[in-house]
Amino acid sequence: MSEAAPYRPGPIVPPEAAPLKSLTVTMAVMCYLACLAIGALILIDRAVDSWTGGLSREVTVQVRPVQGADVEAELAKAEALLESVPGIVATQTLDRAAAAKLLEPWLGKGNLDDLPIPRLIRVTIDESAPPDLAGLGEALKAKVKGASLDTHKRWQAELTRMARALSTLSFAVLFLICVSAVAMVIFATRTVLDANREVVDVLHLVGARDGYISRQIDGRFLKTGLWGGLIGVALGLATFLLLGLTGPAGAGGVADASRSLIFAPPGTALWNYAILLTVPFAATLISLVTSRRTLIRMLRNVP
Amino acid sequence: MLRLESVGLRYGQGPEILSDVNFRLESGDFCFLTGPSGAGKTSLLRLLFLALRPSRGLIRLFGEDVAALDRNGLARLRRRIGVVFQEFRLLDHLTTYDNVALPLRVAGRREASYRADVMDLLSWVGLADQAHAYPPVLSGGEKQRAAIARAVIGKPELLLADEPTGNVDPALARRLLHLFVELNRLGTTVLLATHDAKLIAQARAPVMHLEHGELRAA
Repeated sequence: MSEAAPYRPGPIVPPEAAPLKSLTVTMAVMCYLACLAIGALILIDRAVDSWTGGLSREVTVQVRPVQGADVEAELAKAEALLESVPGIVATQTLDRAAAAKLLEPWLGKGNLDDLPIPRLIRVTIDESAPPDLAGLGEALKAKVKGASLDTHKRWQAELTRMARALSTLSFAVLFLICVSAVAMVIFATRTVLDANREVVDVLHLVGARDGYISRQIDGRFLKTGLWGGLIGVALGLATFLLLGLTGPAGAGGVADASRSLIFAPPGTALWNYAILLTVPFAATLISLVTSRRTLIRMLRNVP
Repeated sequence: MLRLESVGLRYGQGPEILSDVNFRLESGDFCFLTGPSGAGKTSLLRLLFLALRPSRGLIRLFGEDVAALDRNGLARLRRRIGVVFQEFRLLDHLTTYDNVALPLRVAGRREASYRADVMDLLSWVGLADQAHAYPPVLSGGEKQRAAIARAVIGKPELLLADEPTGNVDPALARRLLHLFVELNRLGTTVLLATHDAKLIAQARAPVMHLEHGELRAA
């Protein structure tokens, strides 16, 4: 060996620690599933914002035809009342044809002229200074025959409950993925240590501290976590991209959701990508911390 | 430097392998440990290089009670000890050079800082040409010399060797004994466990005889 030649000493723990290849694959799968769960969480969150935002900006006044009252006159009274209330930005009365169209899914396209069709007024309210909806409801009931105010609170509550259930499910999936990842890393660490027992014994006998031995091994777990995480995120993004590009346009569902995740406006898209990129960091951290703690705990039992 | 008082050792619930072992080594001593196979020489050496804890009794090494040391304390003392194992215990995935340099690397030394020392020592034990060879392709004698080189590279204060000349020819055995004597002259305390009566005769050093787990001066 020449004095000047650069020489890189061999790795103290042999590189052919086979279990880590399988761990990289399983970590990649876990990270892929985590990506899908996080994507679902982002989409649920956005959808809830959009629903609740839309619903809380609007209320609906329904005027049912009442015997002895002219529905058109009652509608005009209701409009006049609404215009006089502060906090209402706009009103839009649906004409009889539009109201009949809303009933088409239930009653068909037949002649509905003879039926007493309830009429609707769409009311947009000022979110920063909303009107007193309870008082408005009372006033409508008192002054307009057959009128009632629908604030969509029931819908909002049901949608929020459903979204919360889906979010909880996604968080539960993420938690289970983390638990599985920790269990896999512990198992792999034990396998690597058992396979390298002789190396560990010799290192102890030449004066190596547990921390030194641990560092020779946990660096591999760091790389495994990082690679598994990056592969998982790449596969996750590819899945969303594929679904977004190949799915039917404008039909809602998974394809639209994937498009809204990947091709969102720049600010939102960056935020989406940033959240998804936490997956490899989390995988690296889980892998490194779990393997180090397992190694230190196991090395304490070596004489 | 090293003191054992009433040391006993048993594995699990088995019989005592070592009973009431008492002896001391002062700094700069050179001593042989002999006895028939199965007498407990290897077990005694394992106690001395801190791979085992005694079932009873006291071991003081470099002035410290080893029973009171934590794991980092044991590692600190092990760095002051060089050990030659009967079965060599070289790491098969490292070259001869890396095996010999292992104690220095573990101590945090940079490769460039020990390269010349390691190559000098490999030349001295006749392994310069095998620096890049891996242990599986070395002969028994070459492994023995590599194991000895690894034990002495850190200039240990205490050298413990278990049958260090068991796999080499008489000429090389004399050469290795000369290395141990030289190290001893430089201040290393040496304890050699061996069956080799010729080697013992050449060194003219005190001999301790271990039989049926009991130690006495020969």
